[in-house]
Amino acid sequence: MATVSFRALVKAYGDLEVVHGINLDVEDGEFVVLVGPSGCGKSTSLRMLAGLEDTSGGDILINEKVVNEVAPRDRDVAMVFQDYALYPHMSVFENMAFSLRYRKTPKAEITTRVMEAADILGLEPLLQRRPKQLSGGQRQRVAMGRAIVRKPQVFLFDEPLSNLDAKLRGSMRLEMKKLHRRLGVTTLYVTHDQIEAMTLADRVVVMNNGHIDQVGTPDEVYKSPKTLFVAGFIGSPTMNVLPAIRDADGSVRVGGADGFSIDRSDIPEDAPQNLVFGIRPEEVFVGETILDDKGPVVTAIVDVVEAQGPDTLVFASLGGHDLTIRTRPDVKVKAGDAVQVQLNISRSHLFNKETGRTL
Amino acid sequence: MFLKPKTKRNREIAFIWMLLLPALMVYLFYRIIPLLWNFVLSFSFWSPGKPFEYAGLYHYEEMLFYDDAFWTALKNTAVFMLATPISIAIALGLALLVDQKIRGRSLYRTLIFLPYPMMVVAVGIVWRWLYNDSVGLINYVLRSLGLIDQPIAFLESYSFAMASVMVAAIWQIVGFFMIILLTGLQNIPAHLYEAAVIDGARAHHRFWRITLPLLRPSIFLCVILGVIASFTSFDLIYTMTGGGPGLATELLITYIYKASFTLSRFDYAAAVTIVMFFLFLTLATVANRLAGGDAGKVDIAD
Ligand SMILES: Nc1ncnc2c1ncn2[C@@H]1O[C@H](COP(=O)(O)OP(=O)(O)OP(=O)(O)O)[C@@H](O)[C@H]1O
Ligand SMILES: [Mg+2]
Repeated sequence: MATVSFRALVKAYGDLEVVHGINLDVEDGEFVVLVGPSGCGKSTSLRMLAGLEDTSGGDILINEKVVNEVAPRDRDVAMVFQDYALYPHMSVFENMAFSLRYRKTPKAEITTRVMEAADILGLEPLLQRRPKQLSGGQRQRVAMGRAIVRKPQVFLFDEPLSNLDAKLRGSMRLEMKKLHRRLGVTTLYVTHDQIEAMTLADRVVVMNNGHIDQVGTPDEVYKSPKTLFVAGFIGSPTMNVLPAIRDADGSVRVGGADGFSIDRSDIPEDAPQNLVFGIRPEEVFVGETILDDKGPVVTAIVDVVEAQGPDTLVFASLGGHDLTIRTRPDVKVKAGDAVQVQLNISRSHLFNKETGRTL
Repeated sequence: MFLKPKTKRNREIAFIWMLLLPALMVYLFYRIIPLLWNFVLSFSFWSPGKPFEYAGLYHYEEMLFYDDAFWTALKNTAVFMLATPISIAIALGLALLVDQKIRGRSLYRTLIFLPYPMMVVAVGIVWRWLYNDSVGLINYVLRSLGLIDQPIAFLESYSFAMASVMVAAIWQIVGFFMIILLTGLQNIPAHLYEAAVIDGARAHHRFWRITLPLLRPSIFLCVILGVIASFTSFDLIYTMTGGGPGLATELLITYIYKASFTLSRFDYAAAVTIVMFFLFLTLATVANRLAGGDAGKVDIAD
């Protein structure tokens, strides 16, 4: 049982600073997912927590104790790597028993714990095999088994599912969730797959370029993104963004001449003129889904219609700007149509164009 | 089959044979035929200008029961082969050192590797000078340091000659082994060490439980190459001591040379060669078996 904190954590390689003083508090038993594009510093942060990389500034705390100088073996964390890092010359059993041997665990206890983990993960029939003789999914399980036999304070996962095919990834995701519920161990999980982040996390940490842009529940980061980056990164298809200009009278003009105006007298006086208007594809209504009072109705030209089964994606253009609409499959539109679309203003967002932050 | 390449597959096979042929011919004429000829010769009486006569096991009996020099050469060869494990141990140490992120490591690598491509005769001559009792560098240094009063004639001394020759042999091959082991080391994924660090394995655990087992194929490749080198270190011995003093550094290979070209006993030399060949074959097979049949392969799961 453990809490984890980053306090102004910095990592630099020589002159190149890649993690810029991030702050994070992970509660005991929480499942936190670090998500962000490639190169944003997710792995680096995780590796500093594991003790595989030195910190360049700030502190890492486990259970309120600074562990910057504590050796990896004494931090009591277990890590699962993207390529699993299984010891190729050892059997599955030996792979899982490895860490226990170096923790002075009695032989009988080692066997019990390995068998216990093997039982949880369905690895019993494979215990005598070498990693080479396993499928990708089986190797992934062994890597998890190696982590759980330790009964560590904290689990660290660095893109553990990214080497699996889409279907297996889906089922392993579910298993990870169950496993976490069963063991209740504090978990930090790194991925660049936002679906993994949204489905697994108690809280999502969105990282961008060495900074943390937002920490929140999946619902929070989806519904109330704090920055334009978060808005664009979370959600698929991504949030629609349209240029917006604030007028002196408190109204905001969205999408230029062919667009629409909304009344936003609530935004502060000192807000800049140049804004960005954001709205999720499912908050744009078309055809019979248009309701009274939800927001302005404007005309858009349909470019492409993509039927996806449960819902249909309509790619349209509004005054020359791309607008993606997610609608019901029974709504009939076809490419080339000029259609009426309605924007659900209560679910829209305004960002400062300069800083990318929400107003 | 060569002459009527009707199907595509036949044509392919014919092409493969065509490419293999030159190498196979060389192998046949310089390896297989001499070996077979040796085999025949070892059961015969023959020397240049004399008629060929069947000898049965005569030469083998002489060798095994009456020839002390053969046994000495065999024992010396066994001792000389200790150079291989010693070289591997040193090479492993060096490989671990130059695998670190140290300044100028590529320079060290080059320096250590440098002796290997040198001509063995040149190595022998350089070391003969180094060991020389009147002008040699080693004696000079030892005397300057006050470690010895009288110069030591290393290569003429019964107690030092073998060790001295082995030092030269080790010096030459260590760089080559180091490169083989370094390649093996660098093929071990860094993540394995990181996983082990987190799992709680200390540096020496990681060495014994991860580095060494995963280097096994590379190590046994060195063993096999070392065994071959020690059986065939003719040039080095010949230039440094000529097998002397007495029989102190006589190896099987120098003994075979002397039997043939000094004593003109080609038939007897052939018998010794056959014995050496089978000893060598056995050792190489055992080494390869110990390496799991994959000496030189890198044992990493994808
Ligand atoms: N050893 C290193 N030396 C210099 N720069 C490094 C080193 N390791 C990582 N970096 C840099 O640090 C930044 C963050 O890397 P990191 O591996 O944490 O990214 P990531 O968020 O995990 O990305 P990915 O999703 O691709 O794994 C990158 O810009 C990377 O180039
Ligand atoms: Mg990464």
